[in-house]
Amino acid sequence: MTATIQQQVFEIIAKQAKTDVANVKPESTLKDLGIASLEAIELIFDIEEQFNINFPDQQGANFGTDTAQSLVDAVQKAFDDKAAGSEGDA
Amino acid sequence: MSTPSLQRVVITGMGAISALGIGAEALWQGLREGRSGIGPLRHPDADRLKLKIAAQVPADFDPAANIDERTLPLLDRTSEFALHAASEAIGQSGIDFGQSALGLRTAVVVGTGVGGETTQNEQSRRLYAENAQRTHPLTIVRLMTNASASQISIAHGLRGPTFAVASACASANHAIIQAAQMIRYGMVDAAVTGGTEACLTYGAMRAWEAMRVLADDTCRPFSANRRGLVLGEGAGIFVLESLEHARARGATILAELAGSGMSADATDIVMPSAEGSSAAMRQALADAGLAPQDVDYINAHGTGTQANDVTETKAIRLAFGAHADRLAVSSTKSMHGHALGASGALELVAVIGALRDGVVPPTANLDQVDPACDLDYVPNVAREMPVRAAISNSFAFGGLNAVLALKRAP
Repeated sequence: MTATIQQQVFEIIAKQAKTDVANVKPESTLKDLGIASLEAIELIFDIEEQFNINFPDQQGANFGTDTAQSLVDAVQKAFDDKAAGSEGDA
Repeated sequence: MSTPSLQRVVITGMGAISALGIGAEALWQGLREGRSGIGPLRHPDADRLKLKIAAQVPADFDPAANIDERTLPLLDRTSEFALHAASEAIGQSGIDFGQSALGLRTAVVVGTGVGGETTQNEQSRRLYAENAQRTHPLTIVRLMTNASASQISIAHGLRGPTFAVASACASANHAIIQAAQMIRYGMVDAAVTGGTEACLTYGAMRAWEAMRVLADDTCRPFSANRRGLVLGEGAGIFVLESLEHARARGATILAELAGSGMSADATDIVMPSAEGSSAAMRQALADAGLAPQDVDYINAHGTGTQANDVTETKAIRLAFGAHADRLAVSSTKSMHGHALGASGALELVAVIGALRDGVVPPTANLDQVDPACDLDYVPNVAREMPVRAAISNSFAFGGLNAVLALKRAP
């Protein structure tokens, strides 16, 4: 399950970064991959749409410093929250 | 074309409707008291939204109170606000557009970010959600971006150049500048101008949520714990005249609109540039014949987003140099919210109040110093101080900057 989420998230990131998925490493930041602010927000949208989840608002956070792995973890957390009965919608 | 001598432009009337109440004085009193108009969102779809707070016009606003019943069906909420504020401004100015065919030499320029969003949303819902077979026949006349300007023109018999200006969050300032330039160059003697926005529709709020720039607690410009902007709504409308015209009819002058500056960043569709906005500030000073040290107050764009507040601080430093440390700078969006295309107009009420009463309105909710925001933001409490001249900043998505420079009434 986790591997699948990781694979899917990495593919979405690679598509947004217009790069090969092999270039997306767990420790890659969006900034490393050349994904700027508005593109990062689009990326978050694509991930939410793909998994039908809602990420909590992160005003104040800098998506540029988010790593690929942190996005995978966030998806996993949203699934866990959903399973626990919350909407994952802080 | 001959080159006429330039006219000085003054403001002789103001009207407003905002989260702080009905009327320009209600807005100004709220601002000088540091009162916030931000509260829990009132909306039929509130349960479905992540957005929980907004700066809304009070629920008891009754458009029928001073708009005639035959006009009401023609109006989107944006035009209701604009017409209401225009009547107030025109009434206050005491101007008579019927006299000496003044209406022929009066312009109407109204800024709005989007225009009739409420109408657009309602009719789209009918079509796409309810599978209605037809839209309301007045859909177009309600939603068109120029509706507010046209309705003001019709209501008051104003036959000069009349149009809308759209530049997102800088719309009101861009509109006011167009009106002022027409007076300055002698094309018209007077103008009714400002901005209006009614953007708290389900669709627009969903779109703003998706951009992830909305605060969930309150609007805290320049504070380290700021979490974004808070949407507002309303309108601010002004009567502008040439100084000569205002004096000839013995009008009470509220302030002089002494100059303006406009620029585009030409960099990014959302990320602001200090170079672009400081260029507009510098132009406004030069246009008004002001040196940096002549200015006492800046009404900042101050949205409360991470990006704006740091960049605007840098831009003010670039434009004002060492004098930046002696300026009072405040963001009144902390109280009236971000009314997008109307925000510059609501903020002009604050600037007129500051010049007239010698009171600088505060930046509310500023409780944690951000090392990257290192100017005097007049935190939380208004300050009594003489204000000789002030500038008012509006910066928009799209990288568009419009700055007004004002002086005390001559």
